[in-house]
Amino acid sequence: MEKTTHSLHRIGNFEDLKGDYVVLACLAKNINRETQEGRKGLARIAHILAQNKPVRIIPEFAWKISPVVTAVYDNIETVKKIIKILKQEDIGISIVVSGLISEIKQVLEDINLNIHTIHFSLGTFGKKELLPHKKILEISTMCGHHCISPQFIKYYYRLIKKEKITVEKAAEKLAKPCVCGIFNITRAVSILNELTNLDL
Amino acid sequence: MRINADLCNGCARCIIMCPTNAITLINEKAIIDKDLCVECNVCYRDAGCPVKAIRTEKLKWPRIIRSQFSSVVAKHKLTDIPGRGTEEMKTNDITGRFEKGELGISIELGRPGVSTKICNIELFTVKLAEIGAEFEEESPVTALFCDDKGHIKEELKEERVLSAVIEFKVPLEKFVLVSRIIRDVENIIDTVFTVGVISKIENNNYSSILDLIDQQGFKVAPNGKVNIGLGKPII
Repeated sequence: MEKTTHSLHRIGNFEDLKGDYVVLACLAKNINRETQEGRKGLARIAHILAQNKPVRIIPEFAWKISPVVTAVYDNIETVKKIIKILKQEDIGISIVVSGLISEIKQVLEDINLNIHTIHFSLGTFGKKELLPHKKILEISTMCGHHCISPQFIKYYYRLIKKEKITVEKAAEKLAKPCVCGIFNITRAVSILNELTNLDL
Repeated sequence: MRINADLCNGCARCIIMCPTNAITLINEKAIIDKDLCVECNVCYRDAGCPVKAIRTEKLKWPRIIRSQFSSVVAKHKLTDIPGRGTEEMKTNDITGRFEKGELGISIELGRPGVSTKICNIELFTVKLAEIGAEFEEESPVTALFCDDKGHIKEELKEERVLSAVIEFKVPLEKFVLVSRIIRDVENIIDTVFTVGVISKIENNNYSSILDLIDQQGFKVAPNGKVNIGLGKPII
């Protein structure tokens, strides 16, 4: 099972990204990944993530075998609530939150935690003319491994235009190839609504 | 991957699923371009082929490298590491991999969604080796090196993968050199790449890192990954 989720470089503007937070717990090789306590702690975190209304979460079968558990949320208030619980339970496993850095910093300050490390995104370089439309990228980059192809998104774009599928149903269909469970369906609905007002 | 032409009914479901546009319809049969195919398994896993014409193949060296770098569920046999990257900053509160005064850098070739030939990795790694970059030992990319000068094993260079992450760290003062390498390669590479910068943060203040990045003409995205420091070395 995949160890990385590739939640960096999700494309979007500030307002749009206010509804897109990935919470990840990761066991450390040769430290807690091989221990029963580590595995038990990771399962506990998965339960906490699941109990707090994620938009999506890594499939339950993976909780016992993957060194990582992940879930995506559509608001920072829920993330704050989860971090408070994790702080209180003091499980000792590394937690990473992907999303708007300034908002995450504010949450941590509110509950007396400090940022340990940041992974900043400097964006995309090189032959950018090979990239699809920005709105397509906003959807496809929500699966960092790029299992959601631009043609797949355009296929549902056309079906929505022809009123053969609802935006909500299309967003659910698009989420399927993302096995890490970090494709944000709520945000995809919003982007698809914008996309269908465009002529691609 | 391969598609059994006798079974294929030309429905094109696999075509829209392919991240690299490797599948086309010819005479109402889906055909895979073997150069463009990165063996990611997305067509096999998610197209829902109604006649089960899509088949996986037992890949041989060096083609197997495509699957190891492109499939989300493939385990990396070279390194015994699953996935394209490592724990990097995710467990930095436990491992201390990135200390004060150091920058971790991730350069992911082929991302987002364009793919890359393995030979492109060398455009960066030879120059990075020259400036003394410390490559991440656990990275699947580092396992492709044939020497300590950042050269890639010859037989792998023409293989195509969905993406490959070069992970390394440098002292803060060498970021200017890394920036020049990024700018140089940007102008000659035939694909896209993303860049990430990792830094340990003191007292919730990261303005000096933003200044350092800004001085080199880069724009930092408002969203990133934040390790919130709840990990403990032993639990």
